[in-house]
Amino acid sequence: MEVAILFGMVIGLMLIGVPIAVSLGFSSILFLLVLSDTSLASVAQSLFQAMAGHYTLLAIPFFILASSFMSTGGVARRIIRFSIALVGHLHGGLAIAGVFACMLFAALSGSSPATVVAIGSIVIAGMREVGYTKDFAAGVIANAGTLGILIPPSIVMVVYASATDVSVGRMFLAGVIPGLMAGTMLMVTIYTIARIKNMPKGEWKGWGEVMSAGRDAGWGLFLIIIILGGIYGGIFTPTEAAAVAAVYAFFIANFVYRDMGPLARGGEAQNLSILRKPIALVTAFFHKDTKDTLFEAGKLTITLMFIIANALILKHVLTDEQVPQTVAAAMLDAGFGAVMFLVIVNVILLIGGQFMEPSGLIVIVAPLVFPIAIELGIDPIHLGIIMVVNMEIGMITPPVGLNLFVTSGVAGMSMMRVAKASLPFLAVLFVFLIMVTYIPILSTWLPTTFMGPEIITK
Amino acid sequence: MSAQDETLSVAGRFINELEETAIAIILGAMTIITFINVVLRYGFNTGLIWGLEATSILFAWLVLFGISYAVKKTAHLGVDAVINVVPPSARRALGIIAALVCVIYAFLLLKGAWDYWANFANLPQTTGRWFPTGLEEMKRTSFRSWYEVVDIPMPEWLRWIEPLMNEGEEYEKIPRFIPYFILPLGMLLLLVRFVQATTRLIRGQQDSLIVSHEAEDAVEDVAHLNRED
Repeated sequence: MEVAILFGMVIGLMLIGVPIAVSLGFSSILFLLVLSDTSLASVAQSLFQAMAGHYTLLAIPFFILASSFMSTGGVARRIIRFSIALVGHLHGGLAIAGVFACMLFAALSGSSPATVVAIGSIVIAGMREVGYTKDFAAGVIANAGTLGILIPPSIVMVVYASATDVSVGRMFLAGVIPGLMAGTMLMVTIYTIARIKNMPKGEWKGWGEVMSAGRDAGWGLFLIIIILGGIYGGIFTPTEAAAVAAVYAFFIANFVYRDMGPLARGGEAQNLSILRKPIALVTAFFHKDTKDTLFEAGKLTITLMFIIANALILKHVLTDEQVPQTVAAAMLDAGFGAVMFLVIVNVILLIGGQFMEPSGLIVIVAPLVFPIAIELGIDPIHLGIIMVVNMEIGMITPPVGLNLFVTSGVAGMSMMRVAKASLPFLAVLFVFLIMVTYIPILSTWLPTTFMGPEIITK
Repeated sequence: MSAQDETLSVAGRFINELEETAIAIILGAMTIITFINVVLRYGFNTGLIWGLEATSILFAWLVLFGISYAVKKTAHLGVDAVINVVPPSARRALGIIAALVCVIYAFLLLKGAWDYWANFANLPQTTGRWFPTGLEEMKRTSFRSWYEVVDIPMPEWLRWIEPLMNEGEEYEKIPRFIPYFILPLGMLLLLVRFVQATTRLIRGQQDSLIVSHEAEDAVEDVAHLNRED
């Protein structure tokens, strides 16, 4: 009963426009003060420890920073050029290239809205130029953008791993096959539609263009190798990998792509070579662009971590009240099997994902469903991937999916128009969700092969 | 909120700059310390033993310091599905209620933060469970300035605090009241910013406390590409 009031309060506060973080924190503090003997001092302490005490979460600012350097440094443009060179000549080629570019960008960044903005802004404009309808373009990008949180690295996965004590590395690996699959399914769908409707195709510019575009984009894409290779090669922890990625991205953006920092020159002018201005090696660290990127990444970290930190306080309330155990017992008594349980998880997350920032939602829902899943013999890694895919779909489900908002802003269309445009592809992702939910091996095969079987501790 | 920036006084711009620079420097320092530690481990088989603790503390500083800035810039994430469909008068009323909730939240946390930090700095905690009703009487166990962090060594230039805080005894590692100081400071700033936001809402200079997603600024930057039709 108390818990129902607690959740009612959180949702009520959110709906009247209280920031998500404060809704979570305020409700939890009231409950702690009324129902337990916890003091305000220990709430303040847990707020501090949310950051200082969670080594895994430390990866978040670094991943955000790496992806900020990459977006500012013009990597999106290069990825799109590479994608077009590769698949642009097919029917519906530009749309397929858009999906492909979203997949590649997702592998550099851990966030879906960021992917939509970076790729969508360029691709939607480009698609309209060659004769696609704006609706088709927006529908494609809204859907493909959700891959941002499924293809590693992913901030949502870091949060899940931290909330349930599974390995970040495993989660990342587990996302690879589903991510590639979802992307492929979207591309095949587009190709089919394009064949039927006879959509425009680009011209094949030859392997030369593929190679040169690939080499150009390769500097950015090498980041994937650093992150995944570094983690699985046992060279560094995910947190260190993220920090190394951020430093690498800084060097690439400033000294190789030179679209930012002391060597950049606005407009069409050729950016300066490092040899012409060697002092840049020093000044890049203090350059305004560097500071701005650090600041933007810092700001995003702050808003995300504020939500996560408060969600951790709520999680504390739930564990104190033994809610996960009660819910688990109730569900097991009611005779729910694994299938029914997963359906319930799907529904909760689809609804929650509409309103809430995905990482905050994970912190709250994961501890609730995790013990039940273990009890029912569901693999924790598999559960994590299911949750992430649900979150993706929640982001593009009308009426209020987050990615719909972002796409409507980027494409300059109304929310409802974007929602309608993305429906056909949403259906594809739904089929994908069902596959991921009921075929565990899609998520577990890769991590088990590379890292040995998961050891489950209850 | 660039329109707001242009109307700022010199002092306002200076504080803006100060906050933004602090955020950038903290994040930069975290990255560099972690990176250097990786390099030292592989290149030189050594490492900064205090690196991890310092990074963790900086992480807490970044967030606890930055949340008040995010209030000032209306950057906190929220749900605007409901407040966007209600009429403006209701929207304003809801906004003011929401702001008051935020003020109470910040106030409670400020009390909590002070209580947590105070004893580490040899200062009295407040009494009372919800609201500070007075100051505690200092007991022997209330003087906790001798608590140190685990790994970060005491820098020489900070030695002057020893006679003030630790009866002249040397600190080997930095004392805990230094990293924890961000708690009362951050919460005080948060309270101030929420109070300011509330007055702006009441005066009608601002109409909500939230943005609906993290990329709102970025969307604005690129929206012109596809605006026509």
